[in-house]
Amino acid sequence: MTAHADAETLQQVDSESTADTATDLEALLGESVVARDDHLNAPAFVVHRDSVQEALSTLKAEAGYDHLSCVTAQEYEDRYESIYHLKRYDDPTREVSVVVPTAKDEPVSQTAEPVFRTADWHEREAYDLVGIEYDGHPDPRRILLPETWQGHPLSRDYNQERPQIVRYDERSNPLESDRRVTDDAQSAEISGDGTDTLLLNIGPHHPATHGVLHLCVTLDGEQVVDVDPDIGYIHRCEEQMCQSGTYRYQIMPYPDRWDWGGAGLLNEWAYARVAEDLATIDVPEYAQVVRTMAAELSRMLSHFLAVGAYAIDVVGDFTATFMYAITDRERVQNVLEDLTGQRLMFNYFRLGGVVWDLPEPRDEFFEKVRTLTDAMPRRLEEYHDLLTNNEILQARTLDTGVLPPEVAKQYGCTGPVLRGSGVDYDLRRDDPYGYYPELDWNVALEDGCDNYSRLLVRLRELEESAKIVEQCVDVLEAWPEDERNIQSNVPRTLRPDDDTEIYRAVEAAKGELGIYIRADGTDKPARFKIRGPSFSNLQALPEMANGEYVPDLVATLGSLDTIMGEVDR
Amino acid sequence: MTPLQQGPILLPERIANLIGLGDGLLGQVVGGLIAAFLIANIMLAMTAVAGPWAKRKITAAFTDRIAVNRIGPFGLFIIIADAVRLLSKELIVPEGVDRPAWDLAPIILPASALLGFAVIPMGSGIQLADPETGLVFAFAVASIASLSLVMGGYASNNKYSLMGGLRAVAQNIAYEIPLIVTAASVVIFTGTLQMSEIVAVQREALISITPALTIPQWFAFVNPFAFVLFLVANMAEVGRNPFDIPEAPTEIVAGYQTEYSSVYFVLFYLGEFLHIFLGGALIATLFLGGPAAPIAALEVIPGFVWFLIKIWAVFLLTQWARSAIPRVRIDQLLDIGWKGMLVLSFANLVLTAIIVGVIV
Repeated sequence: MTAHADAETLQQVDSESTADTATDLEALLGESVVARDDHLNAPAFVVHRDSVQEALSTLKAEAGYDHLSCVTAQEYEDRYESIYHLKRYDDPTREVSVVVPTAKDEPVSQTAEPVFRTADWHEREAYDLVGIEYDGHPDPRRILLPETWQGHPLSRDYNQERPQIVRYDERSNPLESDRRVTDDAQSAEISGDGTDTLLLNIGPHHPATHGVLHLCVTLDGEQVVDVDPDIGYIHRCEEQMCQSGTYRYQIMPYPDRWDWGGAGLLNEWAYARVAEDLATIDVPEYAQVVRTMAAELSRMLSHFLAVGAYAIDVVGDFTATFMYAITDRERVQNVLEDLTGQRLMFNYFRLGGVVWDLPEPRDEFFEKVRTLTDAMPRRLEEYHDLLTNNEILQARTLDTGVLPPEVAKQYGCTGPVLRGSGVDYDLRRDDPYGYYPELDWNVALEDGCDNYSRLLVRLRELEESAKIVEQCVDVLEAWPEDERNIQSNVPRTLRPDDDTEIYRAVEAAKGELGIYIRADGTDKPARFKIRGPSFSNLQALPEMANGEYVPDLVATLGSLDTIMGEVDR
Repeated sequence: MTPLQQGPILLPERIANLIGLGDGLLGQVVGGLIAAFLIANIMLAMTAVAGPWAKRKITAAFTDRIAVNRIGPFGLFIIIADAVRLLSKELIVPEGVDRPAWDLAPIILPASALLGFAVIPMGSGIQLADPETGLVFAFAVASIASLSLVMGGYASNNKYSLMGGLRAVAQNIAYEIPLIVTAASVVIFTGTLQMSEIVAVQREALISITPALTIPQWFAFVNPFAFVLFLVANMAEVGRNPFDIPEAPTEIVAGYQTEYSSVYFVLFYLGEFLHIFLGGALIATLFLGGPAAPIAALEVIPGFVWFLIKIWAVFLLTQWARSAIPRVRIDQLLDIGWKGMLVLSFANLVLTAIIVGVIV
């Protein structure tokens, strides 16, 4: 079975299962549908800009499309367009897109925020980068760029050549409301509104923010009244850069840079999957096995770091657990280094396969991987001893940072965060790709909805990843020598058909990493939109942290395992 | 109880005799000053070993690392290198700090700990003073530390510092009471607050097998429950894991010491280590027989060495906890303090009083 066949059957299944459902849905939506504009992955309905909420809530309530995976905004020559990529949590292969065109001169469309809370940040980003305004949006600020930025970088008339320098004092000053700056302010405060809350800026440089994240926290004593995550400090125009690279080689190195926690290969797979489906490239099965093994090793890197860093957040800065996690991570890292030649930016996947075969001598490599996976259960026991079985850690994490499943779905949470809330959703199983369907593994699931559950899910996923890697090694070892095909024939230059659109996601370390590509007949994407899982997960932080103590805010943030590379992109 | 007329000669007297100044006022003053200087220097030297070197080595051992090993034997010269580095750094005074409170805080912290050592019998005749109320004096001066923390936290003009200072005060109040109440149970046994007497009482035999192999009546053996209570309360008092919340770096950056750099930072650090050692010294004196050897056969080793071993053992315990035990939350800490430790320590006190009253 080749991936090409895979993709074909998938498309067939898509068109079969959606053939009737698409018409059903169209009937369901009734008059709000203006036209059809199908994407490769899903039927897409064009709706009027004033009936966005109506269409989305109908799809959500009556057809079960309860997962707003992503919102893509883009500008055509004659119009702006917002695309809402919907899925179902119980079956992510059932997708539908809602396309909302808006006029050039007045790019305003109705907000989707009342239907899906997660649309809040996604639409802010659409406004920030593309320039579409959302009517009724509760918080229409820029999100990635500074408040004072001029223009919208991904719009067509934006001058890419002119540099903009935003001086520090031009940025919105988070200290403006600091009541202790001057004596005058102090006396004004005493006679003034009389609030006794404290505004605390956690970050952008703070030991607990795991990167340059700024949390604007309002405190009442030690208790959190409100958290406002301020992101965008390391926005590096990743989408723009991908749009100026060619499909074949120039885009693949970028996904590595969205996650420096070690999950680079999983991110590469996101691009590989979407581009292969877009250009109908098949992947030899052998390469799929290698990819699966490499990707799971990559997940182990990421999860070890997450668990170790979580130990720092909760235990303290000189903890043995962190060093143990880093030591174990290093063993995985060595294997991946042997395989890819890199430690951080792997750049190992290629469209249609991987860049090279396993390192010679193969026996030695297999031996090394087996030593690693065999030791895993015993190593993980130590983490359970030090962390999950520790009474103090339990007292700290049980029933803190509670994220009920319904809220998690509202915010589009995915990955370990969602599975820690008891929602059984894992794209490796539910929207299968690679070699996962052939292997025997389980989706780690906990229904505590708290920090403890999320930690437990990651620890169990480490075990599952080790199982997958072990099985892949068995398969690879038994593979006939003359059939080791690591890459299919892919044209040097790829020019997918004009106006084909596709949105595809994979299960990355932090959750669902989706990529939307619109092709315009050239060898570069016309629009390349990235859905970073941490972007959605982080958005749920205020729901989880409000009313808690500062230490729990830190513990909750740590349990989300956000990586700013894919939040800010 | 009469003051010990023929008790052990204190260090100032010895020094005065040694340099021929006799028992007069001059001899007392000069002897006292020299003795204080010596004891302070011993403690500072210990802190110098503990801070830049031992702490690194111990933590490294717990976390499978190597730590300093390049400069000097076992990396010991890092002590000098660090001293030079820390002292030559720029002292940054942030805008809007409340001086002189901001400047006094880092001086008060080590001073309060150093004062406490004045009444500790360190064995081999090293004791600066032996007032009848020695134990109370030690606790009283050690408590001044809270003042320093709140001064530093409040004067720094930084919200993290403020939170750290507030946490420190809340924590110290919650744990000082169990600490002192538990110490009081020892006082019920000994019937005196005088440090040398408390040590002397513990010299008596608990179980005597042969004259050389006698287990002494250390209060850690007599009342292990009080010993554990005191150890835990002391851990909170000196602010170490699992009770390091006043400076909890992943939460409030560095708490009250966030804005301190260079020499002021060194002073704060010094103060913290001195407090750990003072805690160790109190534990040794109250529960581990002070400078006494555990069995008579080992008395060839000088008392001062035993004393050092004991306080380093306590230091090691704090480092172990730091590497392995998660930090509790501020509200949990206060719960443990007020609802758990306080009740237990009073129960211990009442029980001890009853047992002592009935049996002795």
